Amino acid sequence: MTTNEPMPEQTEAAPKKGRVKTPRQPMPEQDPRRRRTNFEEVPRGYSEETAMLEASRCIQCKKPGCVEGCPVNIHIPAFIKLIAEGKFIDALLKLKEQTALPAVCGRVCPQESQCEARCILGKKGEPVAIGRLERFAADYARKHGGVPDPAKAAPTGKRVAVVGAGPAGITVAGELARWGHEVVMFEALHLAGGVLMYGIPQFRLPKEIVQYEVNNLKRLGVTIHTDYVIGKTETVGQLMETFDAVFIATGAGLPVFLGIPNENAIGVFSANEFLTRANLMRAIDFPRFATSPIRPRRAVTVGGGNVAMDSARTALRLGGESTIVYRRSKAEMPARAEEVHHAEEEGVVFHLLTNPVRIVTDAQNRVTGVECLRMELGEPDASGRRRPVAVKGSEFVIPADTVIVAIGNQPNPLVPQTAPEINTSKWGTIATDPVTMMTSKPGVFAGGDIVSGAATVISAMGQGKMAALAMHRYLMGGDPPQ
Amino acid sequence: MGSISLTIDGQQVEVEEGATVLQAARKADIVIPTICDHKDLNPYGACRMCIVEIAGVRGFPTSCTTPAAPGMQVVTQSARLTELRNRTLELMFSGHPNSCLVCIHREACEQYRPKVTKAARSTRCGFCANRDECDLRTMALSAGKNELSLPTLYASYNLERDDPFMDRDYNLCVLCGKCWRICEKIHGKPAISIINRGKWARIGTAFDKSHVFSGCTFCGGCIDICPTGTLTDRFARWQGKPEADTPSACILCSEGCSVVAQSKGGQLLAYTMTGFNKEAGLCALGRFGAAQIAASNQRLIRPLVREGEDLIPFDWQGAIAAAAEGLKDCAGGVVLVISAATSREDRFLYVQLAEQLQGRMLLLPAEAGEDDPQVQALAAAVQGGTIRAVIANGNLLPVEMMAKVPFSLIIDCLHSPASSGASVVLPAAVLSESGGTFRTATGAIKQLAVSSQAPGDALPEWRIVCDLAQALGLTGFDFERVEAVTPLVADDPAPAPVSGDPRQNVRDLIPRFRGHLLADVVSALAAFGLPTTPAETSEETTGVGFPILEKREIAPNMHFFKVKAEKVAQFSLPGQFVILMAKETSERSPFTLVDWDAAEGTISLVIEEVGRSSRELASLKAGDRIAHVSGPLGLPLTIENKGTVLLGGGCYGIGAIFPLARALRQAGNRVICAIEASSAYLLYMQKELATACDQLIIATKDGSEGVRGGIQEVLAQVAAQEPVDQFIAVGCTFMMRMVTEISRTLNIPTLVALNPIMVDGTGMCGACRVSVGDKTRFACIDGPIFDGHGVDWDELASRRSAYAREEVQALSQSVDLNALMHQPHAQSHGGGCGCGR
Repeated sequence: MTTNEPMPEQTEAAPKKGRVKTPRQPMPEQDPRRRRTNFEEVPRGYSEETAMLEASRCIQCKKPGCVEGCPVNIHIPAFIKLIAEGKFIDALLKLKEQTALPAVCGRVCPQESQCEARCILGKKGEPVAIGRLERFAADYARKHGGVPDPAKAAPTGKRVAVVGAGPAGITVAGELARWGHEVVMFEALHLAGGVLMYGIPQFRLPKEIVQYEVNNLKRLGVTIHTDYVIGKTETVGQLMETFDAVFIATGAGLPVFLGIPNENAIGVFSANEFLTRANLMRAIDFPRFATSPIRPRRAVTVGGGNVAMDSARTALRLGGESTIVYRRSKAEMPARAEEVHHAEEEGVVFHLLTNPVRIVTDAQNRVTGVECLRMELGEPDASGRRRPVAVKGSEFVIPADTVIVAIGNQPNPLVPQTAPEINTSKWGTIATDPVTMMTSKPGVFAGGDIVSGAATVISAMGQGKMAALAMHRYLMGGDPPQ
Repeated sequence: MGSISLTIDGQQVEVEEGATVLQAARKADIVIPTICDHKDLNPYGACRMCIVEIAGVRGFPTSCTTPAAPGMQVVTQSARLTELRNRTLELMFSGHPNSCLVCIHREACEQYRPKVTKAARSTRCGFCANRDECDLRTMALSAGKNELSLPTLYASYNLERDDPFMDRDYNLCVLCGKCWRICEKIHGKPAISIINRGKWARIGTAFDKSHVFSGCTFCGGCIDICPTGTLTDRFARWQGKPEADTPSACILCSEGCSVVAQSKGGQLLAYTMTGFNKEAGLCALGRFGAAQIAASNQRLIRPLVREGEDLIPFDWQGAIAAAAEGLKDCAGGVVLVISAATSREDRFLYVQLAEQLQGRMLLLPAEAGEDDPQVQALAAAVQGGTIRAVIANGNLLPVEMMAKVPFSLIIDCLHSPASSGASVVLPAAVLSESGGTFRTATGAIKQLAVSSQAPGDALPEWRIVCDLAQALGLTGFDFERVEAVTPLVADDPAPAPVSGDPRQNVRDLIPRFRGHLLADVVSALAAFGLPTTPAETSEETTGVGFPILEKREIAPNMHFFKVKAEKVAQFSLPGQFVILMAKETSERSPFTLVDWDAAEGTISLVIEEVGRSSRELASLKAGDRIAHVSGPLGLPLTIENKGTVLLGGGCYGIGAIFPLARALRQAGNRVICAIEASSAYLLYMQKELATACDQLIIATKDGSEGVRGGIQEVLAQVAAQEPVDQFIAVGCTFMMRMVTEISRTLNIPTLVALNPIMVDGTGMCGACRVSVGDKTRFACIDGPIFDGHGVDWDELASRRSAYAREEVQALSQSVDLNALMHQPHAQSHGGGCGCGR
């Protein structure tokens, strides 16, 4: 018995000219029947041999499309070459030149629509498994140690406050600290990491990895104040009295609910609450950790994004049946294909073209079901996706004791509320100059989901890189040291 | 002895000579109320509830102490007797908190209070830890008693929680004397007795020493016989009344004592004595430890299979297959190491398995560990390289030894070094979770009854061994029930008796169960000097967190904290709250700020122990650190001059209205503070409030001080005398709901500070959503203060109690119940004798 059953790969037909091609190497995964009962990571990572074999597939393009596809422009062919040569630590250092969080990005980035989508091998076959290789290099270095501390520029004497210790904040803090600035991070929750800690489940991103990366930041000299709620404990205005610049990355932390009847019944949760309990508060380790997990017998998750997949798969592991209700069809799902695939493998049931209209409750105000309408696709809407239209009289009830609402987040209001001098959009996001990332308050920059609205980890990191550069230029009047 | 005949209430009754009138009445099914009487105790005549009238006898003799005599004419019910009994009850209630009977809001309370109550709250509206099991309350209710004319004389003792296993609240004691009498009966010389005189008379140990040093054996007899909530089992009290009593036996040592397993909802609450007599006595380990082992958070709940460095959770099928795979080529080289704390059936099957695998089986005494000579000999054999697999049903093998064996299987109930080093780990049911029989040191065979459910996927060992053997293709393991195995077990020898007498001396308690140090699992046992695994001191946790500068129990169960939290203190405003985590493993829970001092960098809080989080916080002492303090959170109260403002506070709200009063008065308002408590002795901060407001009005549910009733009554009275421009209520949901109904009829603008369940407190999760005026609001960022007339109280009440059941079930597993205990090494030999040690 082993859990190391390979992940199914669409292997291409044999190459035409008789040249022996190495196929894209599959990554071992836990068997779906088994993993649905545990919170261990699903993919188990490449071995050294597999990683080198996969790395050897890269043809080292002169004009690599993959680098352009990467929001943080990692020197992909270079790091892959180092892996192919067995120089794993050097590969990590190469990655670290561009990304603060390779172990995280290797796991949660949507590579299939970014770097790997641009891989030349993908035109005729399977692209190089860039994400898996990135993950391998980072995991190897973490397990084996021996990574030298990154070079740090001489102190500039400038102090920078970073508000929010999520992907954007971590990226900015890492860059600015390397360039010699004194960086102090403020995190409202009791652990740094933001969505990496509270949102993404253990089986997708082990929390030890996040804390390892956070510790790396501390080793760079970054001070992290947890339990420090900017907007409440102190305002951005007060921060500017003691800091030369402030970066706001407070994220999209205000859950959107459906606005349907009985939504406040016991058993209806925002995906944020459901996942925060399970991940940040470690309810999955209940009772060693005190926060009660929600143990659904029948969970219905509403939404079609990555957060919905995370919620549905967590619900499956904590309880019994898990169903996803999504008002469009599978093609329109914003979730990564791999996540949808994993959810299906584990036994999550998909009710597509289905829209919830009412929560059904019992006399104790507990959820007993979700009343839904069937939908059909109509004309394309503003997002270019075909608009779902309700089918009249198609109401039916899905029995449920738990409903998880995963239809998105709005920007967290705490900072905008208490900093009226910072302009916001009508959606509550902070308005910034697209080039300098500066807000309407001089010296105050912003990035990540608080600017873009709810998006991905890597896009927040990409903005963080831009912001760090802009902040350095603002502070020093020139480009950072190479 | 002959029998005699007497007449009770006109009924002819025949009893044995020497019986009391009470016994005679019981024989005839005539009910006479009693409190201090117990069938297993000698007559005592303390409570005087059992008085009767006897023709020709002067006065009203107590039937429990009066011997029945031939021809006696006894009357048990009369107007005079009822009157006298009610007076007696009243006298008793004048010293026993009684608002659960006399509160004028009782009916509304029954209707609106959370339906799943946490049974263990010691002092609150319901008052008592034993709400479901109070003989006094039952008696008063059956007597139709809910008006008392006597003044109350409560002593206001702080709760006693510094001893292992038991919590004591002498505010509830009625001096029936059952506890010390049962103690005397079981142990010969009682560890406790009545100390002090008059109003201050109470039960205690000689010189008020810790029970650990008083000769107490922690048999739990006093707890089980206490008719009120005074004495409670710290572990089981949260669960309320047990649902089932199942006779069984304890297998923790070779004594194999007969027990009655109390259980509720599939969980073992306690092993109790089969009767109140010396022979039925239990040791502390059996009485309290068994249930705590079964509920331990160290239980193995899933099968685990090693993959490289990790043990991965598997399903049973996969794990059994992995175990069979590991054992399949090991015939001749297998050693089983089995603890004697195992049922006869399980042991029999292990022997069969060993024989069919041509292996050996070592049977270790119940208290043995890896230092056992047999294990040492095995370690030597392993060095020789002939052993290919080991199987153990406990933490019985040194990890270094296991590392040298190609395959190791642990079938056990608890996590241990052995299980973390094993190739395969299979979770086993133990104690009351598994049936069979047990042979005691005296040779007796006792039945083990199943009365609770094993956690997670754990299965009984007989089941595991049968499945494993079948997967190995062995025969003779085709059993569906453990009873089918029993007849096959023959000639098993009686185990050696334990040394010493753990039932008479806590220092004779055995240190291990299946190789696990018991004091690691049941931490209170450390108070008796039982060994524990030294904790690894992690450097990271020292010096972080928020130091507690001051902590006092300002009223029974109400704890005042002063905490160093400079940034919070600097930015706090009236009406805001903080989120606390006592430890890294705690929940995030909100608590209202009572005071703050920016210059000093401190905040003050009043925390009432209600559930798990508050219990964890209450367990901390001055000098300890709170892991996390986050805040100030929430929107502050808008402070403006409204005219006359009435502030109403109950429970924690008494403290919470203090900063509001101060700020509102500074803004020029006339501020009236109204505070309520069940009884006068539960009030606190009266002095501070009196200086912060223009008028302080006190209300108690039992009328022991101020207005009889609650904030509702005060509001009505004040509104009748002067116009109230603003009313603000802070306290339990029940109180706030009731007062808003009154203020609505009086047309008084009303604000309430809501207290829904929160997780992050920054608007991120929406757990705290409340409906106010048909809009959903987040209490953490839109509140906590809202218009009281718009709140959907039913929704709030239901959402607040959403996790009550889970919380109670898990409380004993997730909270260090012994945190307030005296540390065994850091204390004197008891104190009180004057020697200063």
